[in-house]
Amino acid sequence: MSALLEAKELRKSFGGVKAVQGISLSIPEHSIYAVIGPNGAGKSTMMNLLSGTYQPDAGELLFAGRQLAGLPAHQRVRLGLARTFQKIRLFKQLSLLDNVLAGFHIHHKVPAWQYLIPGAAFWRDWTHCREQGMALLEFVGLADLAMQRAGSLAYGQQRMLEIARAMATGPRLFMLDEPAAGLNSVEVGFLLQRLKDMRERGITVVVVEHNMDLVMKVADHVFVMDRGEYLFEGAPREVQNNPKVIEAYLGGEFTGGLDS
Amino acid sequence: MSRRVADALSRPVRWPAFLGALVVIALLPMVLGTPYWRGILVVCAMNVLLAMSLNLVIGYTGQLSLGQSGFFAIGAYVTTVLLKSYGWNFWLAGVAAVLAAGLVGLLLAAFAARLRGHYLGIASLGFAVIVYQILINWESVTKGVRGIYGIMPPPPIRLPGLPEISFGNQATLFYLVAGIALCVYVILDNLVRSPIGETLRAIREDEISAASLGVNGARWKAFSFGVSAAIAGLAGCFYPGFVGTLVPDAFGIVESFTMLAMVIVGGMGTMIGPVIGAVVLTFLPEVLRGFGDFRLIVYGLALTLVVLFMPGGILQAWQILTARLRGTEASESTGGGR
Ligand SMILES: Nc1ncnc2c1ncn2[C@@H]1O[C@H](COP(=O)(O)OP(=O)(O)OP(=O)(O)O)[C@@H](O)[C@H]1O
Ligand SMILES: [Mg+2]
Repeated sequence: MSALLEAKELRKSFGGVKAVQGISLSIPEHSIYAVIGPNGAGKSTMMNLLSGTYQPDAGELLFAGRQLAGLPAHQRVRLGLARTFQKIRLFKQLSLLDNVLAGFHIHHKVPAWQYLIPGAAFWRDWTHCREQGMALLEFVGLADLAMQRAGSLAYGQQRMLEIARAMATGPRLFMLDEPAAGLNSVEVGFLLQRLKDMRERGITVVVVEHNMDLVMKVADHVFVMDRGEYLFEGAPREVQNNPKVIEAYLGGEFTGGLDS
Repeated sequence: MSRRVADALSRPVRWPAFLGALVVIALLPMVLGTPYWRGILVVCAMNVLLAMSLNLVIGYTGQLSLGQSGFFAIGAYVTTVLLKSYGWNFWLAGVAAVLAAGLVGLLLAAFAARLRGHYLGIASLGFAVIVYQILINWESVTKGVRGIYGIMPPPPIRLPGLPEISFGNQATLFYLVAGIALCVYVILDNLVRSPIGETLRAIREDEISAASLGVNGARWKAFSFGVSAAIAGLAGCFYPGFVGTLVPDAFGIVESFTMLAMVIVGGMGTMIGPVIGAVVLTFLPEVLRGFGDFRLIVYGLALTLVVLFMPGGILQAWQILTARLRGTEASESTGGGR
């Protein structure tokens, strides 16, 4: 499998805080790639660098062989990068369906004048987006609530809605920042299945996660960070048994994963 | 097809409301038959245009703009100067004025691209102040505080086979401006229901999220400002011919405040809300007529009360009221949601 996304020596500091200090990684296509590490390790900063929410201080970023440096977040979406946020960022006042519909932004093919006076092409696109939007809500188990306000959803449902919204962009690479945070065990099981479905559909999934049970079950490859630096990477089992990783996590969340 | 998908695909029926609006517009000058009240009607139609224009930026795109009077002024002055100093045809001058206002709106948005919230509000307020100062000081073109006099209403329209339509009286001028306002309403309504509306609302709700879906925030905010400014400019085209004179004081920042009051009092972020706000705030001061700047006191009071007690404006208050009156019936008909 070839690398879909490649980062070389990425660096990012916030004032005195060196959040990411020379991280290189290579994400193979059609895989589930997990990024783990203790709190403050720089995982979210890494996602923000990959998605273009932040620009790196130094380093190189290649997506399908294309340089990403300097490209703002909204243009990276057109190349096929999508993401969710650790701290949920839904359009709270809008309905679930409207949240997902906003995700089709880059896919509309309608002559400009038809936005003012709708014609056949407009209505074709309108119907298509709503059918696809409902299918995505179905995919995350929220189709019954399509017309409700996103802000009225329970926490776990909000996470799933954010996933559906990002999937509407039609990503090749989908980055999820702690999708299981705040989910109950049933919801985690559902999420796990959906991540596998995405891989099945040919989407390359990058998941930042603290839930080691989930990581061990779905990840093809695990990348471990600590204090902005590379610690270890390998198959889930290798990571689980690596002394450096165990040390970094000592007393932390990882113990739960080790027992299982 | 499942029922859920069928629900998602149901389209609202709008033509009855459109016909209703046409009938109301047709009847209004007959109900309010005196020249005075017909004049108020023309003002009202212009205010509806202005409130709708501001609502696109504030209500749908979530950008605080306090400079709408500047675009209104550009529409009025460009039309009048082209008409009186360069001898242009009114309709052509009007098109130029709309384009000019729209272009300035785009430029303002481009300069203010990085500004958000209060800062954008202050920058746009500054813009309106600058436009006002230019109107006062660029005397060779605007005639400064002395103003421009003797401005004629739009020239008559002669269509073959039809009687000539002249705009010399308030009723026909009202039909013209109200008709244009209705067209603008329909087009804006289409726009905000289209994917462009989805994009603008996404920016309003969360610009970083919107960017994560591929939305170029700066570009679409500029679009919103540009369209909004063009519509305010359109309202401005008709103002000078209606009043007959043009002085800078008609475009002070207090006019921006007036438009803001209409949008918020009616209910921003909805199409009909600002229309209601414009109608209520145009007629209310007339009904309660008193001393000098009574109008502004009414606006200030209405704005304060709405912000304090019904943030969704008159429209939302009305919806809550009717829902209460209908009681359980309403909650049953919405069904589905538990
Ligand atoms: N925008 C920012 N401004 C200043 N400091 C930041 C910013 N974003 C992250 N940091 C700092 O960078 C470091 C790495 O943060 P980051 O959010 O990337 O960690 P993380 O691995 O995602 O942690 P967690 O597991 O808690 O989400 C932390 O010390 C954090 O305080
Ligand atoms: Mg994080």
